[in-house]
Amino acid sequence: MPQIVPLTEAQAGLWYAQRLDPANPIFNTGQYLDINGPLDETAFTSAVNRACDEAEALALCFVERPEGPGQYVDPALTPRLQIVDCAGEADPAAAALEAIRRDMATPVDPLRDRLARQVLYRLGKEHYYWAQQIHHLATDGYGMVLLTSRIAELYAAATVEGRREGRAFASLAGVWAEDAAYRISPEREADARWWRDAMAGMEDVGSMAPGKPQSAFTFHRHAEALPEATRKALLAFAKQKGLSWPDVLTALTAAYCRRFTGTPEIVLGVPYMGRMGSASARVPAMVMNVLPLRVAPDEAAPLADFCAEIARATGDARKAGRYRSEQLRRDLGLLGGHKRLYGALVNVQPFDRPPRFAGLEVTLHVTGTGPVEDIDFTFRGDAMSGLSIEVDANPDLYSTAEVRAHVERLGLFLTRAMEAQTLADIPTATPAEEQRELEAFNATAHELPDTTLTALLTGAMTAQPASEALRFAGRSLTYAELDRRSAALAETLRGRGVTAESIVAIALPRSLDLVIALIAVLRAGGAYLPLDTDHPPERIAAIMESAKPQAVLATDDPHGLYGSALLTPQDWRKEPQGDALPEVTPDQAAYVIYTSGSTGTPKGVVVTHRAIVNRLLWMDEHYAIGPQDRILQKTPATFDVSVWEFFLALIRGGVLVVAPPGAHRDPAALAALIRDEGITTLHFVPSMLAAFCDAPESAGLQLARVFCSGEELPADLRDRFHRRIRAELHNLYGPTEAAVDVSYWPADAQDRAAPVPIGWPVWNTRLVLLDDRRRPVPPGVAGHLYLGGVQLARGYLGQPELTAERFIADPFHEGERLYMTGDLARRRADGAVIFLGRADHQVKIRGLRIELGEVEAAIAQTGLVRSAVVLERDQRLVAYILPEDSYSETALRNRLAERLPDYMVPAAIMALEDFPVTANGKLDRKALPEPRFAAAGGGAPSTPTQQKLAAFYGTLLDVEGAIGVEDDFFALGGDSLSAMQLLLHIREEWGRDPGLAALFEHPDIAGLALCVDALAEGGTGDDSTGPLIRLTRGESDRPPLFMIHPAGGLCWGYRTLASTLDPQRTVYGLQSPALAPDRELPGSIDDLAKDYTARIIDIAPAGPVHLAGWSVGGIIAQAIAVELEAAGRTVGLVALLDAYPAECWRAEPEPTAAQALRALLAIAGYDPEAHPELETREQVLTFLRAGNSPLGNLPPRALDGVVRVVLDTNRLIRGHYHRPFGGRLTHIRAALDHRDRPDLTADLWMPYAGSIDRLNVPFLHPQLTGPEASTQIAPALCKRMDEMERVGV
Amino acid sequence: MTTEPFTREKLRQDIAAMLEIDADALGDDDNLMDMGLDSMRAMNLVMQWDEEGVPVDFGDLAENMTLASLWSVVQERQG
Repeated sequence: MPQIVPLTEAQAGLWYAQRLDPANPIFNTGQYLDINGPLDETAFTSAVNRACDEAEALALCFVERPEGPGQYVDPALTPRLQIVDCAGEADPAAAALEAIRRDMATPVDPLRDRLARQVLYRLGKEHYYWAQQIHHLATDGYGMVLLTSRIAELYAAATVEGRREGRAFASLAGVWAEDAAYRISPEREADARWWRDAMAGMEDVGSMAPGKPQSAFTFHRHAEALPEATRKALLAFAKQKGLSWPDVLTALTAAYCRRFTGTPEIVLGVPYMGRMGSASARVPAMVMNVLPLRVAPDEAAPLADFCAEIARATGDARKAGRYRSEQLRRDLGLLGGHKRLYGALVNVQPFDRPPRFAGLEVTLHVTGTGPVEDIDFTFRGDAMSGLSIEVDANPDLYSTAEVRAHVERLGLFLTRAMEAQTLADIPTATPAEEQRELEAFNATAHELPDTTLTALLTGAMTAQPASEALRFAGRSLTYAELDRRSAALAETLRGRGVTAESIVAIALPRSLDLVIALIAVLRAGGAYLPLDTDHPPERIAAIMESAKPQAVLATDDPHGLYGSALLTPQDWRKEPQGDALPEVTPDQAAYVIYTSGSTGTPKGVVVTHRAIVNRLLWMDEHYAIGPQDRILQKTPATFDVSVWEFFLALIRGGVLVVAPPGAHRDPAALAALIRDEGITTLHFVPSMLAAFCDAPESAGLQLARVFCSGEELPADLRDRFHRRIRAELHNLYGPTEAAVDVSYWPADAQDRAAPVPIGWPVWNTRLVLLDDRRRPVPPGVAGHLYLGGVQLARGYLGQPELTAERFIADPFHEGERLYMTGDLARRRADGAVIFLGRADHQVKIRGLRIELGEVEAAIAQTGLVRSAVVLERDQRLVAYILPEDSYSETALRNRLAERLPDYMVPAAIMALEDFPVTANGKLDRKALPEPRFAAAGGGAPSTPTQQKLAAFYGTLLDVEGAIGVEDDFFALGGDSLSAMQLLLHIREEWGRDPGLAALFEHPDIAGLALCVDALAEGGTGDDSTGPLIRLTRGESDRPPLFMIHPAGGLCWGYRTLASTLDPQRTVYGLQSPALAPDRELPGSIDDLAKDYTARIIDIAPAGPVHLAGWSVGGIIAQAIAVELEAAGRTVGLVALLDAYPAECWRAEPEPTAAQALRALLAIAGYDPEAHPELETREQVLTFLRAGNSPLGNLPPRALDGVVRVVLDTNRLIRGHYHRPFGGRLTHIRAALDHRDRPDLTADLWMPYAGSIDRLNVPFLHPQLTGPEASTQIAPALCKRMDEMERVGV
Repeated sequence: MTTEPFTREKLRQDIAAMLEIDADALGDDDNLMDMGLDSMRAMNLVMQWDEEGVPVDFGDLAENMTLASLWSVVQERQG
């Protein structure tokens, strides 16, 4: 047996990646040469075989050992050239390529399979393909070049007189020795320090496309030659500026990539070949490294300065280039999940030339260079004779069209750079893309009649006088009546001096009078200004001061704000006297709506008739509105959505149904109104639509169409809507400054878009995405959203400066304006616009918009802290504070709860002595401590198992000092590789393997020791999916607590709560029997409860039994309590953790398989909203397996079981009817949740319990079993169990 | 291919030029990496020599980190 050596650091990362993704063939690197000419097959065969003999890495054999994977050279594995004759095939070249493709697509198991193959395909007379394929563990790109050159050298020596054989490859042992020496060298420590300093203060690294940078099985490739003129200009530029052209290319490509991330800094990956001065200089082996290169270009700096800076940075990085990026990732805490060390890869390969074979013409085709995690930009060629741009991209993240576009766009970017003084001079978009952005995507010209809203309304009123126009609270007006009443009031207003451009304020609640007033103002030639009487008087006073209305139509003047301008309905003329009403022109103001300003002062947006007419006539035609339509008016008039609600029906002869005041907030009342009034069309803000869909009354509604606007429409809400309501759904977008809406997207039942776009521009409207310098951006690049066209508001009333700031001259269309929305957006490849968010500081947590500044201000106002910073971490708010003497966390929490909505109160508050700052004095966010959502602790290991495990942890993780029983393997620095080693140690020590899943679930000494002990007591392998697991072991004289699984069927999530119980008692988890393959669930919840009860009685044949269950587990717990009671057992605690009776869910549509799969994401601890791309079972399972969640590490069959259990349990719940339990139910409500369903309370259990004990805890439903909630819930459970035992025993 | 003979001094000048230092500053036994020779510069040198017919490839340069040892390789090849 030859000596086995550990993997080199360079191999270790690949080893781990391949082992985690064993079916992935992307680790095969390869190339083929297209050979034309009289190949001497014999000489060639012996050249290939001899070079392969010399290249020891090709014959590597791998083994797994307790101390980690090892390798040795097994000469028996050396590849021999195979010759395959394809000449007889119909298309020999195609046949050979297919064989090459097939080989490359075959995954290699490095523990079993040969790593390399050499195949010569005969295609015909003097035509061959020679394919080489080598697993990445055995070579890198340079190694492949070495091998190919060596074969060429040997072939030449055999076939050309006077050519020498040259030197053989050096030994692989030298590479191993060098790696081993570096590992323990002071250089490595110095390199580590250098990199940690170089990476300090790095923000989360993004890339050019959203998604997980995990290599797929294949990649997309497109390559094109760089234009000759550009290549020459590049060489001249480099020479003139004293730079190397590869450095210039790297710098410019970095600048190009940054345009797509939109962040000030990006981090590129730059391959480092690692051969210089190395034992590997002449050895085919895996040596190369990828160095992260931080690039934060100053776009205004001279171009050469920027390139020189990048060249310097690259040179510095190369000096520390032996330090592995995998290790650096570990140092920086970037392992696992979505965290990246770098985004795009930029690889300049000046030595990439086709090998020269004596007497033959050859061209090189690279078939694979290893994993493509994101996107690789490769420049091939020596620049003297030619240069090409080659883009390889992960097909999960980029389409082929996008890859082609990058090649073309980057080429143009480089060409333009050679003519630019600064980066800022270089646009991102190609001329064709600019043209599309400005014109093709905005080809919305549509003839618009030269009319006014007033004319449209009077036209409709006279066209069909007898038809019903308006309904409110059982009363109704015909068009003729509406005509008379509005004309009469218009006369009154004219009498008050109202004329063109006069502003008339309207402060009326929803009523017939309100609609009459709006029309009357328009007929009098004025512009109406809605006021909300619910607003604070100070705000109304400010608007009055700003707008100075000619008249105020209101029922009264409670705050004395209107003075002599007040006109109450008593003052209105009821019948017209026939006074002439003025002609209104399209450019007159129609309405003024005030919106909140970021500074706190409201600003009045003045919209003309022409603008709103365009909006109304577009909607009318686009959605085919007609006299049959009955449109609901429910939006307060102060929101501009109300404008189309008020007028769309009335200009078309339909019926306007005005909702009673307050109805817009009451889903039940709305549903009734829609049914009773036969509403065909209405509007919802998405959050209200969500509440409406949750209301039982909305089930089965049918209407023509529902419009959403005002917030992002989540894709899952769209889907939920269509499952519940039969109607078209349309997503509209627009600010008050552009006449209500400027874009539309049909979010119909077939729409799969996620996110849901805001879509396409309406008539005569442009949506333009521009960069910081107001140049059009290409699809995929985030830009500032500007609006142009006929719908733009005139501006802000009395604020010319603000108007000029926000409504700029359109740089692309002479004489037109653009409105700067302040929103960020990007286009999909098809041009549909996607809203991305605000350009300012705002986060969203579970869809709720939060200004972090607002939370910080609220904390500051308590006076309990000196300073505060609030961040979002993993969908939770974390406040870092510097406390005053008076500070206590409880006091701060209480004060915040008084000021902020609950969702804005931070989940964790971290008191610090000082904020960490970066070298230039800014807050160093990376250096802030990880938030603690619950306290940690733990004593010294006590049992032999714990002590042994602690010793393993210490050795494997190189921990100095004592290890406590609550110390977490991964928190101490463990990674998946060391985890495998730990498991091997455990297997050696105890002869049992608890499995990776168990380690992920129990990374602490105490938990893992229990697993190991359980195995030693006769468990069989990984039993964490068995029907009964022991979560904690406690004092044997205390009755056990049985916890019942939630929907996923597993009880792992209860471990924290179970271990928080004090005093400890034995806690069992009852898991779904259907987790086992081939086991079906019983037919009903009651049958399931019987099964569980039998298991409980088995374990606890006498004495009281305590039960607890979260969510679905609570429903089952109640059913078990019924069974136990019937069996004559004493039932102690029955704790329902935020569980509600089955009937609450009966009306809900059954989740589809897709939804159940998405629920799995939540069970695994992911936010399903964050992964809209995962739709199919295979996608979800692949994603879970790739991640670090315990669920993802389950054996495949067990994961299948979870999917089945989620689906089946949901079905059973809907068919379950509770029987009463005579005892007491302890209900623990997640008080921060259920804003959408306030009906979910403990009282729902009253019919099914002797008594109810109610507890509220300030958490959300999913948080209840977490560490923070456990600290509150566990004591409450213990207290009750103690009490019940005293009473019961 | 040029016919001009390749000398130790020409080797020194080429490397020094690539490192942007005076040829005098480059001693026979100085470590070329310490003097600033990285893979990109090495590659450029190798390409330049290749055009001139100098029998030194990248592996030679990567393996021989002093002028003296590199020169011995050249001699051996030319011999």
